Amino acid sequence: MTNDTFHRLAIIGAGTMGLGIAEFLASVGYNVAIYESSSKAWKNNWSRLKHRLSKQVERGKLTTKEMKELCQRIHLVSSLSDLREMDLIIEAVVENIEVKKELFSQLSQIVSDTTILASNTSSLSITEIAAAAANPERVLGLHFFNPAVKMPLVEVIRGEVTELKWMEEVTQWIKEIGKEPVQVADSPGFLVNRVARPFHIESYRLISEGLADKAQVDRILRAAGFKMGPFELQDLIGIDINLAASVSVYRGFFAEPRFRPHYRQQRMMESGALGRKTGKGHFTYES
Amino acid sequence: MSRRVILAGNGALYPEIANYLKLQGWMVYSVEESWQEREKIHAVLEIESGFNDDKRQLLIEVEKILPPDIPIFTSVLHRTATEIASWVRVPERIIGFSPLLLSEMEILEVSSPLQVRDQQKWAKFTTIWSEIGKQVEIVGDEPGLVFPRTLALLVNEATFALSERIANARDIDLAMKLGTNFPEGPLSWADQVGIDYIYAILTGLYREYGEDRYRPAPLLRKMIYAGYLGKEVGRGFYDYD
Repeated sequence: MTNDTFHRLAIIGAGTMGLGIAEFLASVGYNVAIYESSSKAWKNNWSRLKHRLSKQVERGKLTTKEMKELCQRIHLVSSLSDLREMDLIIEAVVENIEVKKELFSQLSQIVSDTTILASNTSSLSITEIAAAAANPERVLGLHFFNPAVKMPLVEVIRGEVTELKWMEEVTQWIKEIGKEPVQVADSPGFLVNRVARPFHIESYRLISEGLADKAQVDRILRAAGFKMGPFELQDLIGIDINLAASVSVYRGFFAEPRFRPHYRQQRMMESGALGRKTGKGHFTYES
Repeated sequence: MSRRVILAGNGALYPEIANYLKLQGWMVYSVEESWQEREKIHAVLEIESGFNDDKRQLLIEVEKILPPDIPIFTSVLHRTATEIASWVRVPERIIGFSPLLLSEMEILEVSSPLQVRDQQKWAKFTTIWSEIGKQVEIVGDEPGLVFPRTLALLVNEATFALSERIANARDIDLAMKLGTNFPEGPLSWADQVGIDYIYAILTGLYREYGEDRYRPAPLLRKMIYAGYLGKEVGRGFYDYD
């Protein structure tokens, strides 16, 4: 698949999200350049991706040829200056504003006048990241959800100075590659993380006020049509990740009371009960 | 066993609940019809929201008709069962319940007024629901119980996001369905349930807790003024033809 506007694509950061987005783009036929500053991280995550793909081959979901082609479409580059000719670069490095600002500043010196720079941040201000770049009107957010290969939603986030023209072109392109874009104004938590907050925080209030117990809240909300109740969902997401999202939205809105996290989220994290990944969260799990 | 129940109160949920109970083989009477059958009635379902004094008047009326041992299930979307029980002569027979998604959900949420001392005797009132396959969950007595409260807060946040022009209604709904697996987008869900019900839950919580987190988004209030109550009336967050 090709597109006149965005043909030469690059990803920065080969973590779960970066490599996930690269895998998705390769799966729809694009060649993707990827830059990762840590060779150890690249080796680990690349072999994990290949392992996962070979499992799919074993299960007959992918042919050996398809797997080989998909992997060949993802190229590791050794320097940011190799990204000079790109149409679109998606940044997916660590969620640290200083790191991202430094990267966008550097990148904007390297790339051409027409390159779009996108950040996959889930919590930082697109406007702040953009301000570090030489051409902030060409910076926007592209928030993919984990796992990027499967999850259809992409939040296309418009910073304060992002040009509407680029918002429209990127949105159109996201549609063409088979995802569902939604345009969102740059604001704390963007759309999904913000609107989903009450689902998580109110559940803590229900139990701490003794109005219901955890299993009961989950049962009732499942009966109302939710795939998972808030407590089992938090165990899947990770108590720490969910708390970080709560705190980030709360701070972003300057302590708006609707978003105030609950101290029991904090206690859970302090106790090391982080959810499925530690075998214990709201509920216990056999490893 | 075919139960005879009085369905009392007004609201968009009335026909849906009446139909559902009839399909389960229950006999459903209005308050006016119930005089002749008063000795045979098993329970009352009262679904008035409680915005004004109608709910109190209705319950006083119903109490005059019925013997004192007949349970009264009363909607607690806007007021607590405890407050409602304070209006009647026999508070021990008051059971708070949520009429939202009554026909669809396998679970029925109920709450007990503070005035009830004999919880075991009170809990026996709820057993009629298991006869039509409902699992009863007894939860704490605050407006909106668990599911209606959760839904109202999700709708409220989505409404704030909409009024702040963070995204349009269609995109808000799409994002919540695809990004977090919600069964329905919050705005279209609110249209189906009825904006007035969502508003009743939020104002009830706001009144009981006095906390800003339950403050309804101003747009919801405007929709009430404008009569944009949702799918039922053809217009809510979306237009329906």
